[in-house]
Amino acid sequence: MAKVAYYPGCALKDRSSHLDRSARDATLKLGFELDELPTWTCCGAVPPVSEERVMNLVAPSRILKDVRDSGRDVLVTICDFCYNTLKRTNYSIRNNEITRRRVNAFLADDEPERDYIEKKEEQWVDYTGDVRVVHLMEYLRDEVGYDAINRNLTRPLEGLKIAPYYGCVMLRPQNEIQLDDPENPAIIEDFVSALGADPVSYPYRTECCGSYLSVSSPDASTRLCYRILTSAQKHGADAMVISCPLCFYNLDSRQKAIAESYPDFKQIPVFYFTQLLSLALGVEEGRQGFDRHFVDVAPVLDMIREKTGKGGRE
Amino acid sequence: MKRIGVFVCHCGINIAETVDVKKVAEEVSKLDGVVFAQDYIYMCSDPGQALVREKIKQEKLDGVIIAACSPSLHESTFRAAAEEAGLNPWQCEIANIREQCSWVHDDRSRATSKAIRIVSTMVEKTRLNESLEPIPVEITKKALVIGGGIAGIQAALDIADAGYKVILVEKDSSIGGHMAQLSETFPTLDCSQCILTPKMVAAGKHRNIELMTYSEVEEVSGYVGNFNVRIRRKAPCVDWSICTGCGTCMDRCPAKVPSEFDRGLSTHGAIYIPFPQAVPNKPVIDRDSCIYFKTGKCRLCEKSCEIEAIRFDQEDEIIEEEVGAIITATGYETLPVLDLKEYGGGDVPDVIDGLAFERLLSASGPTSGEVRRPSDGKVPKEVVFVQCAGSRDPERYRPYCSKICCMYTTKHALLYKHRVHDGQPYIFYIDIRTGGKGYEEFYHNAEEDEGIVYLRGKVAKIFRDGEKTVVWGTDTLTGRNVEIEADLVVLATALVPRESTAELVKKLRIQTGPNGFLSEAHPKLRPVESINSGFFIAGVAQGPKDIPETVAQASGAACKVISLFARDHLEQDPAIAWVDEDLCGGCRICISVCPYDAREYDEEKGIATVNEALCEGCGSCVAACACGATQQRNLSDSQIKSMVTASLGGE
Amino acid sequence: MNEKTGLAPPKSPPVRLTRETVGAGFKKRVNELSGENLDACYQCGNCSSGCPLAQEMDILPNRIMRLAQLGLKNELIYSQTLWICASCFQCTVRCPKGIDIQGVMDTLRQIALEEGVDHFGPDQIDPGQASTVPQPGLVGVYRKLST
Repeated sequence: MAKVAYYPGCALKDRSSHLDRSARDATLKLGFELDELPTWTCCGAVPPVSEERVMNLVAPSRILKDVRDSGRDVLVTICDFCYNTLKRTNYSIRNNEITRRRVNAFLADDEPERDYIEKKEEQWVDYTGDVRVVHLMEYLRDEVGYDAINRNLTRPLEGLKIAPYYGCVMLRPQNEIQLDDPENPAIIEDFVSALGADPVSYPYRTECCGSYLSVSSPDASTRLCYRILTSAQKHGADAMVISCPLCFYNLDSRQKAIAESYPDFKQIPVFYFTQLLSLALGVEEGRQGFDRHFVDVAPVLDMIREKTGKGGRE
Repeated sequence: MKRIGVFVCHCGINIAETVDVKKVAEEVSKLDGVVFAQDYIYMCSDPGQALVREKIKQEKLDGVIIAACSPSLHESTFRAAAEEAGLNPWQCEIANIREQCSWVHDDRSRATSKAIRIVSTMVEKTRLNESLEPIPVEITKKALVIGGGIAGIQAALDIADAGYKVILVEKDSSIGGHMAQLSETFPTLDCSQCILTPKMVAAGKHRNIELMTYSEVEEVSGYVGNFNVRIRRKAPCVDWSICTGCGTCMDRCPAKVPSEFDRGLSTHGAIYIPFPQAVPNKPVIDRDSCIYFKTGKCRLCEKSCEIEAIRFDQEDEIIEEEVGAIITATGYETLPVLDLKEYGGGDVPDVIDGLAFERLLSASGPTSGEVRRPSDGKVPKEVVFVQCAGSRDPERYRPYCSKICCMYTTKHALLYKHRVHDGQPYIFYIDIRTGGKGYEEFYHNAEEDEGIVYLRGKVAKIFRDGEKTVVWGTDTLTGRNVEIEADLVVLATALVPRESTAELVKKLRIQTGPNGFLSEAHPKLRPVESINSGFFIAGVAQGPKDIPETVAQASGAACKVISLFARDHLEQDPAIAWVDEDLCGGCRICISVCPYDAREYDEEKGIATVNEALCEGCGSCVAACACGATQQRNLSDSQIKSMVTASLGGE
Repeated sequence: MNEKTGLAPPKSPPVRLTRETVGAGFKKRVNELSGENLDACYQCGNCSSGCPLAQEMDILPNRIMRLAQLGLKNELIYSQTLWICASCFQCTVRCPKGIDIQGVMDTLRQIALEEGVDHFGPDQIDPGQASTVPQPGLVGVYRKLST
């Protein structure tokens, strides 16, 4: 079976591990395997805060260099933050010669101690930013093809109205990321359509959910999430679909604080894109970790069962 | 043996302070061929020139050198003086001992010896100079004006009034351009059509103007004074020579085509006249929308026409003309709302652009002058005007300022308020630019007396939320964000050059700049000419501007054409390239290096030739010619060799 | 000018500008660290218009840029804005001059932290959250808001 180099990132390993499992289940159904890197570290999650903080680029560069050394040139990730950080690391290295040399000098320094890594090349070759970082959603759109996914569905999510939520770092800054138009993106809407559901368009799909403010200024994040969720609801959404573990956490668990501050608020189930993919491709319900959600997703799962019958199309 | 006179100018202290002018005169008088040398304080003055004329006659000079300032300043002055004294002007040369000597050095003795060398260089040139005659170039005294907006109309009228024939080509079926779409014009609030239509009618009727609408320029060849143009007259599928413009066919046509004139706010049939005041007032059939052309059925227009003017089988015609000058005044388009993704990008029906709002305001528009919004026809009470939509944005859209939007947005808000008394206009701006005459007063009147709320901040996002159109902006003056739920949003979109202009300039010898606007020969001193002779430009095609500036440029371009035609013939400077036919091998390297398209190939003789009307004497072909067949008059290889020797100090 | 101690300070003292304050020093450092040119900002306000956190801020993003342009470090580093910015990049994406305003915010945060202006420490994290919030939430806070 085809394998593709996969970087899960910290969150997907523990706090959001159900999202990682659903990704692996789903990709197997599509005929390829997410081959986790044999050894990896945290990528840093956010790029350096200034040009002088070159050390912050070392960890993500090391990850990318390991991929290159293993003879591969594509790295798939499903966490928006890892995607953003790794991709922007490549951009810095490609476009700034001094940064490139300094980062490689640091990498070369600790190379001798990393004798547990299997390398294809024995000689040192500078990392120059040429490993392609691909978001799993991007991989599905460009390599697998949404049509192919649609053909493989056993449980098409027909009649479900799903509101995509993009968050911030999947699309921006667009001159470095270049995944889709940051003002009018379509990648997740098309994904939802590929799964047989109806994508819901609403104006807050690219507005920030608060990100790390959920920790430092939670009220701000609560207000932002309220705006996003109620707008989706106003436009008819039954559920939200998301591609970033932090947005997922905010939009899901923050609904408790929202309900406390806004008594009229009705909860709306939140899904990660890999969970929906896994469901639609016929993976057994129960493997997606829905029990770990704050907002009960049963109402939506009922709708899926209702429309397609138990087990769906065989 | 040549008899050369040298006049060394003090230029006050400009030259004399650094260069010992008396010594220069003394030393050069010893040179071969120099029979007279004198210094004088101001050569360019009247007595200075009188001195030149006097000495030419007295000393029987057949060559004159003025050692003074740059030739770009006074070469023509002294050549004229020489001619008055009976000396061929091309025997008069300038030795620049100011910009190239006294102004850039301090050391007096070295500057003086350099000045001597400069003059002796020019002596070497003058010794071998030939007397030349200017080359006469015939002029066809007929002008071509491309573009029938206010710029083209004004230029055509001016040239026609001067007594010369003009062909006015317009690609739409009527002249008038964007000005015909406007409701009222700032700052006077004149009704646009009322001031435009008299000019349109005059242009249509003028005995010196041949109006060719629904036509496009196919090909242009030739050179200044002698252009050949091929114009395609597109088939309107109506015989305009008998059509009375009664309009019956238009009433019967069942097709519904969005009106370009009304910016998509109304529809008309496939056979249509774009607006009631059209000149000529004759319909055309839009073949892409006509049911007959698409399916072979219908033909209702033909059946209803009492004089049988409909001609489905009419073909495009190609017309060839000879003209002497071409004015390009092809106007502008506006950045499509579709491109502004963060403003709804065409998805939100109640977000329109400035020209569409003009149609809503216009008494002859789709809503008869009532301000009603496109989505449901309701009268909007909260109207947001967004300036700089796509302008002043080097990162994502256009870097330049579109110049007219500050004025027309204030005008829009004012006119809206006059019609909807309980409506509230808001204007989001970054700066208010009101440079023209009466503009600042117009703006202050609007701001003070009309209840318009001006908010200083660029709008980030516009989106639909149910019935309302939400606008997210800011007011940097209070430091607070501003959110408005608008009924209607009007975007002042950037002015951009037309796509058809980009196609057109490939056929003409006109350059465009980095933003696609036509390039002028000099941004300050030659705004209405292209760098290539015979091509002139006017109006917004050259860059964003308002109507007074457009009309001024149109008249300016017309004046340039008239001054061209007022001569008997053109006089081309003869000190240009020439070809020794015996030496030319026909390799054509010269043709590929000429920046002015002045080198041509004569198939019959198998040699390269010089189009003397176009050659600017730059010397590129002379340098490139491998066998020395191409030379420049009065700058031959032997002249250059002796000049180089002299400039290096002698032997 | 000597003022007696004990007087309440004036609310809006004029900004005293010199070559040093507007040219070298703070502004130059911000430019170098962020890799951006503060002078390119012509104060259009687009960043503020689209900022989702603007309603929580005491000084809007365009004003932060303006204070930085005038070298007014002390007014900047004590603003709440730096800590409420969520690094969402909406401003960067829309700036007509292509300035990475998010990057400038990060730089200003670094400078503020260097000056000892601390916003958030690990001890302030709600323990329930500490074990459930995905790592980017924690790393973002540590790197940007904490010394």
